[in-house]
Amino acid sequence: MARVPFLLLIEDDDAVRTALEMGLTRQGHRVVTAASGEDGLKLLREQRPDLIVLDVMLPGIDGFEVCRRIRRTDQLPIILLTARSDDIDVVVGLESGADDYVVKPVQGRVLDARIRAVMRRGERESNDAATFGSLVIDRSAMTVTKNGEDLQLTPTELRLLLELSRRPGQALSRQQLLRLVWEHDYLGDSRLVDACVQRLRAKVEDVPSSPTLIRTVRGVGYRLDAPQ
Amino acid sequence: MRGRLAGVLPTLRLRLVVVFALVALTAAVSASGIAYWLNRDAVLTRTQNAALNDFRKSMEDNAGSLPRRYDCRQLWDAAEKMANTSQSYEVLLTGEDARGAPCTAASDQDAFTMEDVPGQLRSAVGKRRPVDTGNSYPYHLYWQRSADGGGSEPFLVGGAKMIGEGPTPSGFMRKSLGPERDDLNSLAWSLGIATGVALLGAMLLAQAAASTVLRPVRRLGDAARRLGEGKLDTRLKVSGTDELAELSRTFNRTAESLENRVADLSAREESSRRFVADMSHELRTPMTAISAVTEVLEEEQENLDPMIAPAVQIVVSETRRLNDLVENLMEVTRFDAGTANLVLDHVDVADQVTACIDARAWLDAVELDADRGLMVRLDPRRLDVILANLIGNALKHGGSPVRISVRTEESPSGAGELVIEVADRGPGIPEEKLPHVFDRFFKASASRPRSEGSGLGLSIAQENAHIHGGSISARNDPSPEGGAVFTLRLPRGSAGPAPGEGEADEEAEAAAAREEDDRRARGRAEGEDGKGDRGGRRDGR
Repeated sequence: MARVPFLLLIEDDDAVRTALEMGLTRQGHRVVTAASGEDGLKLLREQRPDLIVLDVMLPGIDGFEVCRRIRRTDQLPIILLTARSDDIDVVVGLESGADDYVVKPVQGRVLDARIRAVMRRGERESNDAATFGSLVIDRSAMTVTKNGEDLQLTPTELRLLLELSRRPGQALSRQQLLRLVWEHDYLGDSRLVDACVQRLRAKVEDVPSSPTLIRTVRGVGYRLDAPQ
Repeated sequence: MRGRLAGVLPTLRLRLVVVFALVALTAAVSASGIAYWLNRDAVLTRTQNAALNDFRKSMEDNAGSLPRRYDCRQLWDAAEKMANTSQSYEVLLTGEDARGAPCTAASDQDAFTMEDVPGQLRSAVGKRRPVDTGNSYPYHLYWQRSADGGGSEPFLVGGAKMIGEGPTPSGFMRKSLGPERDDLNSLAWSLGIATGVALLGAMLLAQAAASTVLRPVRRLGDAARRLGEGKLDTRLKVSGTDELAELSRTFNRTAESLENRVADLSAREESSRRFVADMSHELRTPMTAISAVTEVLEEEQENLDPMIAPAVQIVVSETRRLNDLVENLMEVTRFDAGTANLVLDHVDVADQVTACIDARAWLDAVELDADRGLMVRLDPRRLDVILANLIGNALKHGGSPVRISVRTEESPSGAGELVIEVADRGPGIPEEKLPHVFDRFFKASASRPRSEGSGLGLSIAQENAHIHGGSISARNDPSPEGGAVFTLRLPRGSAGPAPGEGEADEEAEAAAAREEDDRRARGRAEGEDGKGDRGGRRDGR
């Protein structure tokens, strides 16, 4: 890895914040911390971190709201730290734009692995471009344009689009995508894929409710088609 | 007696009707019977007396006026005259004429002859009785009721002998009782019809009575059934002051106290569940801090003072256990609260099993018999929890190798079933403990009070199977190798909604998620932390 990842940790509980900061620093990350959503948003503007680890239960504006506000302007990766693995929280978190989530009490190694996986999504690879209708994916510049306009994609959305575009017309199962994009083990939460596909469709499709590019393959997963 | 009656007459209504009918029949039949017999007697006696009195008188008038020596022709005349009265009877006179020859004169030769007079009567009439204080006349008037040769028409036959000197003639009369019989027959018919009407009326009354009793009884029965089905707010409308109304009141009181009691109990249970849920939730934040620091401690272990290192080791390992326990408690409370949901996906079962074993470094300890390519729609995380618990349990108590077989079966209902068997070669589970292995905090061996597990593993595995609509069962292998066998059965594809309807479904899903988002926001605004509105999200793909 070229440089030390720079993280912003937003967590209100002092002990958890200190302990996670200690653990993440030992794993080789540079960490700044904030105790509330407002402080976190301020630090985000001032310090421009590479990634945010965000607690859901925060005093004042909660983690979901922080997530939504960040997404209005920034596409940096967000990992939610949720004390409740209740499904509804996870779904709301993913809907508000988080890239991944970990459930408390989290093991430092797991959090580290997720952080590194998210960071890798922004890495460049081959040097080619692909065109799907009005959508142009430039793999060398890691940019996506639609009708000539740059699309603001998060690294996760970009990586998902890249993985789908590498196998045009071929259906990929949710579990496959979880391994390819999120680098989750075999137990990945398939709702991560669904939420990310929804967000991606909102950005790349002409009419997100009737997608022509990213098609659902019933009982299997998703497929990227060039429009006819 | 009751039992036999109940056997023959299965319903209360039928019993009531039959009893009513029997009472009415007895009353009507005895009343009509008595009336008929009294009437018959009165009618016959009156007719008979009138006819016989008339006969006696006209015999005195006519036969008495015969000369002492008469001839046969005079006898004929007398018979004609005697028969010619308001009482319509035939007369037969018999005697000896002046020359001593027997002569028989009949008012109607075709209808009444000597053959029609019974021999008994003839001899009784002709018999002379000694005259004394108790008997003032030597001859008497005798009568007999008889049916004639055909047997259908009843007759009254009477006879008397003139008292006097010499061979006095005897007189016989015969009167048809046909009109009386017809009257009595029509009376019998009327009585029969009246009895029938009474019977019918009694049965109708019985029906009505049965209805008035049985309608409330049925209402009571329905209410009791509803109560049994758990509708504790069932109440009866009480009207009147009779025994049934009292019964309804008792029912209502019982239902009310039952409802209160159940509400009380469920409130208590709810609060204790909430306590466990809140407690395990509250434990998470400190556990997160402790876990994060524990890893730091663990990595630093080699650099620590050898006196302190074992203490750190204990802290690390016990923290991990506590972590697992809290995790399992959270899982259990989610099942109890009904907020556990399925996240379904199409997965290859063999891949899932292999991955589960692989991830826990159990590959050497497990013999797997599974074909790839068996695609099943299920929640992979929950399948992993089930498998990890079953295999971990088998390894802990039975030792390696653990045999796992994956196959599909047709369930009795015809739907496909995924069957995964996890068998060990250990000592098995004591038979009396088999039913309890899925109980929470149940330990099969009392000698191992502090086992490595949380005591919740099998219970959680079972709950995870149930949420799929499946189940886990435990048994001992009867073969000489022995060992415990846990069998997981999951329905293939019937779990959760059918495979999604493509784009339209995803739209619905997104909409549902947004809706829940809104609800959550509202829930927070109202100062709740979303406990009440968490449940119910189904995976709609």
